[in-house]
Amino acid sequence: MDLALAVSGLSVRGDDGRAILTVESLKVAPGTAVAIRGPSGAGKSTLLFALAGLVPVAAGSIRWGGHEISAMSEDGRAAFRRRFVGMVFQDFLLFEELSALANASLAGAYSGARRGSIREGAAAMLQRLGLPSDDGRTVATFSGGERQRVAVARALAADPAIILADEPTASLDRAAADALIDDLVRLARESGKTLLIASHDLAVHARMDRLVEVIDGRFCGDVAQHA
Amino acid sequence: MPEALSDFWYALSPTAQDALLFALLLAPAILLGLVVVAGYRPFALVRAMLWRFRWTSLLFILLIAVSVGIGVGLIAQERGLRQGTARAADKFDLIVTAPGSEVTMMLAAVYLQPSDVPLLSGRVFNDIAGSENVSLAAPIAFGDSFEGAPVIGTTAGFVTHLSSGALAEGRMFAEHEEAVAGARVPLAIGETFTPAHGVGPSAEEDGHQGHVYRIVGRMPASGTPWDRAILVPVESVWEVHGLASGHAPGSEARLGPPFDADYFPGTPAILVHADQLWANYALRSQFTTAETMAFFPGAVLASLHALLGDVRQVMSVMAVVTQVLVTAGVLTGLIILMRLFARRLALLRALGAPRRFVFAVVWSYAAFLIGAGALLGIAVGFAASAIISRIVTARTDILIRASLSWPEFQLVAGFVSLTVLLALVPAFLTLARPVVKDLRG
Ligand SMILES: Nc1ncnc2c1ncn2[C@@H]1O[C@H](COP(=O)(O)OP(=O)(O)OP(=O)(O)O)[C@@H](O)[C@H]1O
Ligand SMILES: [Mg+2]
Repeated sequence: MDLALAVSGLSVRGDDGRAILTVESLKVAPGTAVAIRGPSGAGKSTLLFALAGLVPVAAGSIRWGGHEISAMSEDGRAAFRRRFVGMVFQDFLLFEELSALANASLAGAYSGARRGSIREGAAAMLQRLGLPSDDGRTVATFSGGERQRVAVARALAADPAIILADEPTASLDRAAADALIDDLVRLARESGKTLLIASHDLAVHARMDRLVEVIDGRFCGDVAQHA
Repeated sequence: MPEALSDFWYALSPTAQDALLFALLLAPAILLGLVVVAGYRPFALVRAMLWRFRWTSLLFILLIAVSVGIGVGLIAQERGLRQGTARAADKFDLIVTAPGSEVTMMLAAVYLQPSDVPLLSGRVFNDIAGSENVSLAAPIAFGDSFEGAPVIGTTAGFVTHLSSGALAEGRMFAEHEEAVAGARVPLAIGETFTPAHGVGPSAEEDGHQGHVYRIVGRMPASGTPWDRAILVPVESVWEVHGLASGHAPGSEARLGPPFDADYFPGTPAILVHADQLWANYALRSQFTTAETMAFFPGAVLASLHALLGDVRQVMSVMAVVTQVLVTAGVLTGLIILMRLFARRLALLRALGAPRRFVFAVVWSYAAFLIGAGALLGIAVGFAASAIISRIVTARTDILIRASLSWPEFQLVAGFVSLTVLLALVPAFLTLARPVVKDLRG
């Protein structure tokens, strides 16, 4: 399925009514890996949340292929995320009391008939990421790098076409960060997933196809990469 | 109710009615659960939430358990008291005393609570004993005691009646100085005692110096105050008090009826037993005279129980109010707790979980607290009732059995249905929370 991203004339407002993000135009071809950079508070996270259909859009449109998520109901957007989007966050956001497998196959709890395939996908992902698939341990005992890989496995378990990652390496040390980004990029490229990562990390930028910039609430387009 | 339905209802056995009512009361909770959870598997997450907030969850469960326990205990205790007191009055079909308060007379003659009561004459006794349909008329002469155990003067016929025909041990008294002990009297067969004059702290220990009884038999346990009583021939009670023996001079050695009215010093109460149930009613009106009062302890108890039932109703309302208040408190607490859990719930929604799933997680969590609290509450109520029953039994010698029955389960079922319905509120409120804001933490 062609899930090319097309954003145009987008405006997102904060609670106070102030515009916190405007995007004149952003297009991403399916299967592309894009890094989003920008100073703290610029609006990177807001952009990712908007692309996932998590923030209300004040003006403009967000399309993923034929899906105009900016025009969908809340339930429609949730269904879209369920089907097409995998998300990774800076501080993992795992259920500490559950095992790696239970965390990675979380979506199985609410995905009805796809439960079985999600569980298989999660187990396969954990294995590919070098994590024990289920040794009964809860993730509370995991290191930061291990936790983030569980979060990646969770994002990929349902085989989504789009991966949105918000500073996935920020809580990791250099070695863990590099390993995680390598895994993420490799897994995304393998199956032609579109990957958008908000990150300050130059090492992340270097591994992507494109680097775009958000400054002061405004999307500024592509930045030339100096390798 | 449509006729077919009411016909159906009345055709059911009482147990089936109770079970059906219970099922109907619980049904809303179960249906709601099925509807809310349908298609989802929220339980792993619910377990994770329970574990994460285990102490808070436990506290909530305990609060619910205590409030449910109060309601359950109240109902169970009231029934236990009612059944226990009724059982204790079982053998006392009709009591005749001097006119006065039926309750006071019943407490004295049936439950052996000490009381100063005027005496009935030998003429009255013989009138009663000689009436048609009376199969047993026995004096119940209380007033003496031994170490707290009431010593009751009566006839062998009454002892046999009270023991349902057979003593547990030994034999019936056959001499003036012989006695039959209740099941819990701490005197063995063969042991002797001297009764004190009066009962309780004011008893005169040496009032009857020189009069010695020997225990020759023991009655089976009955779960009534009579288990602590010592039964002796009524003639000996009179003699101990320096009165006539109930029989004409020359036949003083006799025991039991017939008594000679001229030598009958009096008895505070007479038990009357008729073989035919209907005869009791005729006898009651026959002995309701200017000199005598006749009453059915069962009927007096029934009116006391009706009063108890009214009290129970008032207390039940209070218990339900407490339960609802506690649950409202718990649900409010839950809303606050959900704030602690908001980030994980927002995560679920960010990952694409349907709102209904998040709703199901929160509701299931609340429903688990309520369900666990209710189950534990039944146990708490039963335990409280068991403890109170033991205390009451020890104090009154009336055997009160703690038991659980349908009304308690129906109360709990109604409570669960009502509160899981209320639990929809915090579940709805969590849906209104802003996802991105919660996600940012
Ligand atoms: N709901 C909101 N109402 C008002 N302002 C908001 C709201 N959400 C975010 N903002 C503001 O919008 C701006 C962009 O926030 P955002 O989190 O997207 O920045 P960011 O680029 O991800 O920053 P960082 O690198 O620190 O993560 C910030 O100034 C933030 O305070
Ligand atoms: Mg950010």
